[in-house]
Amino acid sequence: MLRVPLFIAISLAIAFGGGIWSTLVALEATIGFGAIKLGAWEAFPQAQTINADPYAKSHRANAGKLLYGTAEGLTFTAAVDESGARLDGNCTYRMTGHTPPARLWTLFTNDAQGRPPAENAELPAALNSRTVLRGPDGDFTIRISASAQPGNWLAVAPHQSFRLVLTLFDTPTAGSSGLIDLSMPKLEKIGCGDA
Amino acid sequence: MLKILLAIAVGLVGAALLHLVIVLSLPYFSDRDAYSRVLSEGEAFTFHILDQKPDAAGLAQEDPFLETAVCSFDTEEHPARLTAGAGIPFWSLAIYDPASNETFSINDRTSSGGKLDVIIATPLQATALRKAMPEGLNQSILVETAQAQGYAVLRAMAPQPSYRPLAAAFLSSAGCQPAE
Repeated sequence: MLRVPLFIAISLAIAFGGGIWSTLVALEATIGFGAIKLGAWEAFPQAQTINADPYAKSHRANAGKLLYGTAEGLTFTAAVDESGARLDGNCTYRMTGHTPPARLWTLFTNDAQGRPPAENAELPAALNSRTVLRGPDGDFTIRISASAQPGNWLAVAPHQSFRLVLTLFDTPTAGSSGLIDLSMPKLEKIGCGDA
Repeated sequence: MLKILLAIAVGLVGAALLHLVIVLSLPYFSDRDAYSRVLSEGEAFTFHILDQKPDAAGLAQEDPFLETAVCSFDTEEHPARLTAGAGIPFWSLAIYDPASNETFSINDRTSSGGKLDVIIATPLQATALRKAMPEGLNQSILVETAQAQGYAVLRAMAPQPSYRPLAAAFLSSAGCQPAE
Protein backbone atom coordinates (compact mmCIF):
# COMPACT_ATOMS: atom_id res chain seq x y z
CA MET A 1 0.00 0.00 0.00
CA LEU A 2 2.76 2.41 0.94
CA ARG A 3 4.99 1.37 -1.92
CA VAL A 4 3.82 3.91 -4.48
CA PRO A 5 4.49 6.92 -2.22
CA LEU A 6 7.85 5.36 -1.38
CA PHE A 7 8.81 5.15 -5.06
CA ILE A 8 7.70 8.72 -5.61
CA ALA A 9 9.77 9.81 -2.62
CA ILE A 10 12.83 7.98 -4.02
CA SER A 11 12.39 9.65 -7.40
CA LEU A 12 12.03 13.10 -5.89
CA ALA A 13 14.98 12.63 -3.54
CA ILE A 14 17.23 11.52 -6.41
CA ALA A 15 15.97 14.31 -8.67
CA PHE A 16 16.48 17.16 -6.22
CA GLY A 17 19.50 15.78 -4.41
CA GLY A 18 21.27 14.71 -7.59
CA GLY A 19 20.32 17.83 -9.52
CA ILE A 20 21.56 20.25 -6.90
CA TRP A 21 24.66 18.23 -6.04
CA SER A 22 25.71 17.78 -9.68
CA THR A 23 25.25 21.51 -10.33
CA LEU A 24 27.35 22.49 -7.34
CA VAL A 25 30.07 20.05 -8.36
CA ALA A 26 30.03 21.20 -11.97
CA LEU A 27 30.28 24.90 -11.06
CA GLU A 28 33.03 24.23 -8.55
CA ALA A 29 35.09 21.93 -10.73
CA THR A 30 35.35 23.90 -13.93
CA ILE A 31 35.10 27.40 -15.31
CA GLY A 32 33.40 26.00 -18.40
CA PHE A 33 34.19 24.44 -21.72
CA GLY A 34 36.63 25.85 -24.23
CA ALA A 35 39.72 25.66 -22.02
CA ILE A 36 43.13 25.87 -23.62
CA LYS A 37 45.46 23.34 -22.07
CA LEU A 38 49.20 23.76 -22.40
CA GLY A 39 50.98 21.21 -20.26
CA ALA A 40 49.85 21.80 -16.70
CA TRP A 41 48.35 25.20 -17.53
CA GLU A 42 44.84 26.02 -18.57
CA ALA A 43 43.16 29.24 -19.63
CA PHE A 44 39.68 30.33 -20.64
CA PRO A 45 40.03 33.10 -23.23
CA GLN A 46 36.27 33.18 -23.90
CA ALA A 47 35.06 33.17 -20.29
CA GLN A 48 34.30 36.90 -20.12
CA THR A 49 32.66 37.21 -23.54
CA ILE A 50 29.09 36.83 -24.67
CA ASN A 51 30.20 33.69 -26.51
CA ALA A 52 30.94 31.88 -23.26
CA ASP A 53 29.07 28.62 -22.84
CA PRO A 54 26.21 28.33 -20.29
CA TYR A 55 28.48 26.67 -17.73
CA ALA A 56 31.01 29.49 -17.98
CA LYS A 57 28.26 32.11 -17.66
CA SER A 58 26.80 30.31 -14.68
CA HIS A 59 30.19 29.95 -13.07
CA ARG A 60 31.11 33.60 -13.44
CA ALA A 61 27.66 34.70 -12.17
CA ASN A 62 28.18 32.56 -9.10
CA ALA A 63 31.85 33.38 -8.49
CA GLY A 64 31.42 37.14 -9.04
CA LYS A 65 35.03 37.75 -10.04
CA LEU A 66 36.26 40.67 -12.11
CA LEU A 67 37.55 38.97 -15.23
CA TYR A 68 40.17 40.26 -17.64
CA GLY A 69 39.07 41.74 -20.93
CA THR A 70 40.68 40.65 -24.18
CA ALA A 71 42.96 43.69 -24.36
CA GLU A 72 43.94 43.36 -20.72
CA GLY A 73 45.33 39.92 -20.25
CA LEU A 74 44.83 36.20 -20.06
CA THR A 75 45.07 34.14 -16.89
CA PHE A 76 46.54 30.67 -16.88
CA THR A 77 46.12 28.50 -13.81
CA ALA A 78 47.84 25.26 -12.87
CA ALA A 79 46.52 22.99 -10.15
CA VAL A 80 48.72 20.04 -11.11
CA ASP A 81 52.35 19.60 -12.18
CA GLU A 82 53.64 18.22 -15.48
CA SER A 83 52.97 14.63 -14.38
CA GLY A 84 49.40 15.38 -13.36
CA ALA A 85 49.91 15.25 -9.58
CA ARG A 86 48.21 17.91 -7.48
CA LEU A 87 50.45 20.80 -6.40
CA ASP A 88 51.30 20.35 -2.74
CA GLY A 89 52.87 22.78 -0.29
CA ASN A 90 55.08 20.01 1.10
CA CYS A 91 56.92 19.65 -2.20
CA THR A 92 59.36 21.78 -4.12
CA TYR A 93 58.66 22.56 -7.78
CA ARG A 94 60.77 24.01 -10.53
CA MET A 95 59.19 26.17 -13.22
CA THR A 96 61.45 26.72 -16.23
CA GLY A 97 61.18 28.19 -19.69
CA HIS A 98 59.54 31.14 -21.39
CA THR A 99 56.06 32.56 -21.27
CA PRO A 100 54.17 33.22 -24.50
CA PRO A 101 54.79 36.75 -25.81
CA ALA A 102 53.38 39.34 -23.41
CA ARG A 103 54.41 42.79 -22.23
CA LEU A 104 54.27 41.83 -18.59
CA TRP A 105 53.29 38.85 -16.54
CA THR A 106 52.60 38.18 -12.89
CA LEU A 107 52.78 34.90 -11.00
CA PHE A 108 51.24 34.16 -7.63
CA THR A 109 49.55 31.31 -5.83
CA ASN A 110 45.96 30.74 -4.78
CA ASP A 111 44.82 28.25 -2.23
CA ALA A 112 42.48 25.43 -3.27
CA GLN A 113 39.45 27.68 -2.69
CA GLY A 114 40.84 30.25 -5.13
CA ARG A 115 41.76 32.84 -2.56
CA PRO A 116 44.89 34.89 -3.19
CA PRO A 117 47.85 34.68 -0.82
CA ALA A 118 47.71 36.51 2.47
CA GLU A 119 49.63 39.75 2.26
CA ASN A 120 52.84 38.70 3.94
CA ALA A 121 55.50 41.20 2.99
CA GLU A 122 58.25 39.08 4.53
CA LEU A 123 58.05 36.27 1.97
CA PRO A 124 58.09 36.52 -1.84
CA ALA A 125 54.54 35.28 -2.42
CA ALA A 126 54.31 36.80 -5.91
CA LEU A 127 56.67 37.47 -8.78
CA ASN A 128 56.39 39.43 -11.99
CA SER A 129 58.29 39.81 -15.25
CA ARG A 130 60.18 42.84 -13.95
CA THR A 131 61.40 41.32 -10.71
CA VAL A 132 62.26 37.83 -11.92
CA LEU A 133 65.94 36.93 -12.46
CA ARG A 134 66.57 35.66 -15.97
CA GLY A 135 69.12 33.58 -17.81
CA PRO A 136 71.19 34.88 -20.75
CA ASP A 137 68.48 34.16 -23.33
CA GLY A 138 65.60 35.55 -21.33
CA ASP A 139 64.40 32.30 -19.85
CA PHE A 140 63.84 31.91 -16.15
CA THR A 141 63.83 29.26 -13.45
CA ILE A 142 61.52 29.73 -10.49
CA ARG A 143 61.59 27.44 -7.49
CA ILE A 144 58.26 27.07 -5.74
CA SER A 145 58.60 25.86 -2.19
CA ALA A 146 57.61 26.53 1.38
CA SER A 147 61.27 26.81 2.41
CA ALA A 148 63.76 29.36 1.11
CA GLN A 149 65.42 28.61 -2.26
CA PRO A 150 68.30 30.20 -4.18
CA GLY A 151 67.52 32.28 -7.27
CA ASN A 152 63.87 33.03 -7.92
CA TRP A 153 61.82 31.79 -5.01
CA LEU A 154 58.04 31.76 -4.84
CA ALA A 155 56.95 31.05 -1.29
CA VAL A 156 53.88 28.89 -0.67
CA ALA A 157 52.12 27.90 2.53
CA PRO A 158 53.29 24.50 3.78
CA HIS A 159 51.00 21.46 4.23
CA GLN A 160 48.27 22.48 1.82
CA SER A 161 47.58 22.21 -1.87
CA PHE A 162 47.73 25.33 -3.98
CA ARG A 163 47.21 26.65 -7.49
CA LEU A 164 49.58 28.73 -9.56
CA VAL A 165 48.12 31.74 -11.35
CA LEU A 166 50.13 33.17 -14.25
CA THR A 167 48.57 36.21 -15.89
CA LEU A 168 49.92 37.53 -19.18
CA PHE A 169 49.18 41.19 -19.78
CA ASP A 170 48.74 42.82 -23.18
CA THR A 171 49.33 39.55 -24.95
CA PRO A 172 48.41 38.47 -28.47
CA THR A 173 47.67 35.12 -26.86
CA ALA A 174 44.32 36.35 -25.58
CA GLY A 175 42.92 36.91 -29.05
CA SER A 176 44.57 34.07 -30.90
CA SER A 177 43.20 30.67 -31.54
CA GLY A 178 46.55 29.31 -32.69
CA LEU A 179 47.53 28.95 -29.09
CA ILE A 180 48.58 25.38 -29.45
CA ASP A 181 52.00 26.36 -30.81
CA LEU A 182 52.76 28.53 -27.81
CA SER A 183 54.95 27.18 -25.09
CA MET A 184 54.32 27.67 -21.41
CA PRO A 185 56.91 27.19 -18.67
CA LYS A 186 57.43 23.60 -17.56
CA LEU A 187 56.39 22.72 -14.04
CA GLU A 188 58.32 19.83 -12.50
CA LYS A 189 58.36 18.40 -9.02
CA ILE A 190 61.92 18.17 -7.72
CA GLY A 191 61.35 16.77 -4.26
CA CYS A 192 59.06 16.44 -1.29
CA GLY A 193 59.44 16.75 2.45
CA ASP A 194 62.51 18.28 4.02
CA ALA A 195 64.93 16.60 1.64
CA MET B 1 12.03 -4.68 -8.17
CA LEU B 2 11.29 -3.33 -11.61
CA LYS B 3 9.38 -0.49 -10.03
CA ILE B 4 12.29 0.62 -7.88
CA LEU B 5 14.52 0.72 -10.96
CA LEU B 6 11.89 2.79 -12.71
CA ALA B 7 11.76 5.15 -9.70
CA ILE B 8 15.55 5.56 -9.80
CA ALA B 9 15.53 6.16 -13.56
CA VAL B 10 12.82 8.80 -13.22
CA GLY B 11 14.83 10.38 -10.42
CA LEU B 12 17.96 10.55 -12.59
CA VAL B 13 16.08 12.12 -15.48
CA GLY B 14 14.66 14.65 -13.04
CA ALA B 15 18.13 15.35 -11.66
CA ALA B 16 19.48 15.99 -15.17
CA LEU B 17 16.59 18.33 -15.93
CA LEU B 18 17.05 20.22 -12.68
CA HIS B 19 20.79 20.47 -13.35
CA LEU B 20 20.15 22.10 -16.74
CA VAL B 21 17.49 24.41 -15.33
CA ILE B 22 19.79 25.63 -12.54
CA VAL B 23 22.80 26.11 -14.83
CA LEU B 24 20.81 28.01 -17.44
CA SER B 25 18.87 30.19 -15.01
CA LEU B 26 21.59 30.95 -12.47
CA PRO B 27 22.98 34.00 -14.33
CA TYR B 28 19.53 35.65 -14.16
CA PHE B 29 18.98 35.06 -10.45
CA SER B 30 22.44 35.28 -8.95
CA ASP B 31 22.97 38.12 -6.49
CA ARG B 32 26.65 37.24 -6.15
CA ASP B 33 27.61 38.14 -9.70
CA ALA B 34 30.14 40.84 -10.44
CA TYR B 35 27.59 43.49 -11.46
CA SER B 36 25.59 43.13 -8.22
CA ARG B 37 28.82 43.36 -6.27
CA VAL B 38 29.97 46.46 -8.12
CA LEU B 39 26.55 48.06 -7.51
CA SER B 40 26.77 47.36 -3.79
CA GLU B 41 30.22 49.00 -3.66
CA GLY B 42 28.44 52.33 -3.41
CA GLU B 43 27.23 55.14 -5.62
CA ALA B 44 27.50 55.01 -9.38
CA PHE B 45 29.84 57.25 -11.41
CA THR B 46 32.73 56.94 -8.96
CA PHE B 47 35.76 54.68 -9.14
CA HIS B 48 35.80 52.58 -5.97
CA ILE B 49 39.31 51.39 -5.22
CA LEU B 50 39.39 47.78 -4.06
CA ASP B 51 41.30 46.43 -1.12
CA GLN B 52 43.57 43.39 -0.93
CA LYS B 53 40.98 41.67 1.25
CA PRO B 54 37.39 41.16 0.04
CA ASP B 55 35.25 44.10 1.16
CA ALA B 56 31.61 44.06 2.25
CA ALA B 57 30.53 43.72 -1.39
CA GLY B 58 32.82 40.71 -1.87
CA LEU B 59 35.22 42.29 -4.34
CA ALA B 60 38.98 42.32 -3.87
CA GLN B 61 42.12 43.20 -5.73
CA GLU B 62 42.92 39.75 -7.04
CA ASP B 63 46.43 40.20 -8.39
CA PRO B 64 48.91 41.51 -5.79
CA PHE B 65 50.59 43.68 -8.45
CA LEU B 66 47.42 45.19 -9.87
CA GLU B 67 45.63 47.96 -8.04
CA THR B 68 42.00 47.73 -9.12
CA ALA B 69 39.05 50.14 -9.16
CA VAL B 70 35.46 49.61 -10.30
CA CYS B 71 32.78 52.05 -11.40
CA SER B 72 29.17 51.38 -12.34
CA PHE B 73 27.47 53.64 -14.84
CA ASP B 74 24.10 54.22 -16.42
CA THR B 75 23.99 55.99 -19.77
CA GLU B 76 20.19 56.29 -19.86
CA GLU B 77 20.34 60.11 -19.76
CA HIS B 78 23.92 61.09 -20.54
CA PRO B 79 26.91 59.23 -21.94
CA ALA B 80 29.54 58.24 -19.41
CA ARG B 81 33.12 59.46 -19.69
CA LEU B 82 36.10 57.62 -18.23
CA THR B 83 39.38 59.47 -17.91
CA ALA B 84 42.77 58.84 -16.37
CA GLY B 85 46.33 60.04 -16.79
CA ALA B 86 49.48 58.20 -17.69
CA GLY B 87 52.83 57.55 -16.04
CA ILE B 88 52.59 54.00 -14.76
CA PRO B 89 54.07 50.90 -16.42
CA PHE B 90 50.73 49.42 -17.39
CA TRP B 91 47.05 50.10 -17.02
CA SER B 92 44.03 48.45 -18.54
CA LEU B 93 40.30 49.04 -18.66
CA ALA B 94 37.46 46.66 -19.35
CA ILE B 95 33.79 47.58 -19.74
CA TYR B 96 31.11 45.01 -19.03
CA ASP B 97 27.35 44.89 -19.43
CA PRO B 98 25.12 43.85 -16.47
CA ALA B 99 25.50 40.18 -17.43
CA SER B 100 29.30 40.61 -17.16
CA ASN B 101 29.85 40.19 -20.89
CA GLU B 102 32.82 42.20 -22.06
CA THR B 103 31.78 45.06 -24.32
CA PHE B 104 35.12 46.87 -24.62
CA SER B 105 38.66 46.66 -23.33
CA ILE B 106 41.75 48.76 -23.78
CA ASN B 107 45.22 49.15 -22.34
CA ASP B 108 47.75 51.96 -22.26
CA ARG B 109 49.45 50.95 -25.53
CA THR B 110 46.22 50.81 -27.49
CA SER B 111 44.98 54.20 -26.26
CA SER B 112 46.12 57.50 -27.73
CA GLY B 113 49.05 59.03 -25.90
CA GLY B 114 48.89 56.43 -23.15
CA LYS B 115 45.97 58.26 -21.56
CA LEU B 116 42.55 56.91 -20.84
CA ASP B 117 39.70 58.87 -22.41
CA VAL B 118 36.65 56.77 -23.26
CA ILE B 119 33.05 57.79 -23.80
CA ILE B 120 30.39 55.14 -23.31
CA ALA B 121 27.17 55.91 -25.15
CA THR B 122 24.03 54.23 -26.34
CA PRO B 123 23.76 53.97 -30.15
CA LEU B 124 21.42 56.99 -30.21
CA GLN B 125 23.74 59.16 -28.13
CA ALA B 126 26.71 58.01 -30.20
CA THR B 127 25.04 59.15 -33.41
CA ALA B 128 24.28 62.53 -31.87
CA LEU B 129 27.88 62.83 -30.64
CA ARG B 130 29.33 61.96 -34.04
CA LYS B 131 27.20 64.60 -35.72
CA ALA B 132 28.41 67.39 -33.46
CA MET B 133 31.38 66.35 -31.37
CA PRO B 134 31.75 68.87 -28.54
CA GLU B 135 35.12 70.58 -28.27
CA GLY B 136 37.38 68.68 -25.91
CA LEU B 137 35.95 65.29 -26.71
CA ASN B 138 37.68 65.01 -30.10
CA GLN B 139 40.38 62.71 -28.81
CA SER B 140 38.01 60.45 -26.92
CA ILE B 141 37.32 56.89 -27.92
CA LEU B 142 33.60 56.42 -28.47
CA VAL B 143 32.21 53.09 -27.30
CA GLU B 144 28.68 52.08 -28.22
CA THR B 145 26.92 49.75 -25.84
CA ALA B 146 23.60 48.08 -26.49
CA GLN B 147 22.64 48.26 -22.82
CA ALA B 148 22.63 51.49 -20.85
CA GLN B 149 23.85 49.98 -17.60
CA GLY B 150 27.18 48.39 -16.95
CA TYR B 151 30.43 48.65 -15.08
CA ALA B 152 34.04 49.44 -15.79
CA VAL B 153 37.12 47.88 -14.21
CA LEU B 154 40.34 49.90 -14.22
CA ARG B 155 43.59 48.21 -13.26
CA ALA B 156 46.95 49.85 -12.65
CA MET B 157 50.12 47.85 -12.34
CA ALA B 158 52.66 48.37 -9.55
CA PRO B 159 55.39 45.84 -10.38
CA GLN B 160 57.45 46.93 -7.39
CA PRO B 161 56.36 48.35 -4.03
CA SER B 162 57.79 51.76 -4.95
CA TYR B 163 55.22 52.03 -7.76
CA ARG B 164 52.28 51.60 -5.40
CA PRO B 165 51.81 55.30 -4.60
CA LEU B 166 51.90 56.07 -8.35
CA ALA B 167 49.31 53.41 -9.11
CA ALA B 168 47.13 54.54 -6.21
CA ALA B 169 47.35 58.14 -7.41
CA PHE B 170 46.49 57.02 -10.94
CA LEU B 171 43.34 55.28 -9.73
CA SER B 172 42.22 57.98 -7.33
CA SER B 173 42.60 60.64 -10.04
CA ALA B 174 40.68 58.53 -12.57
CA GLY B 175 37.34 59.98 -13.53
CA CYS B 176 34.04 58.25 -14.19
CA GLN B 177 31.38 60.89 -14.79
CA PRO B 178 28.30 61.51 -16.86
CA ALA B 179 29.31 63.61 -19.89
CA GLU B 180 26.89 66.47 -20.47
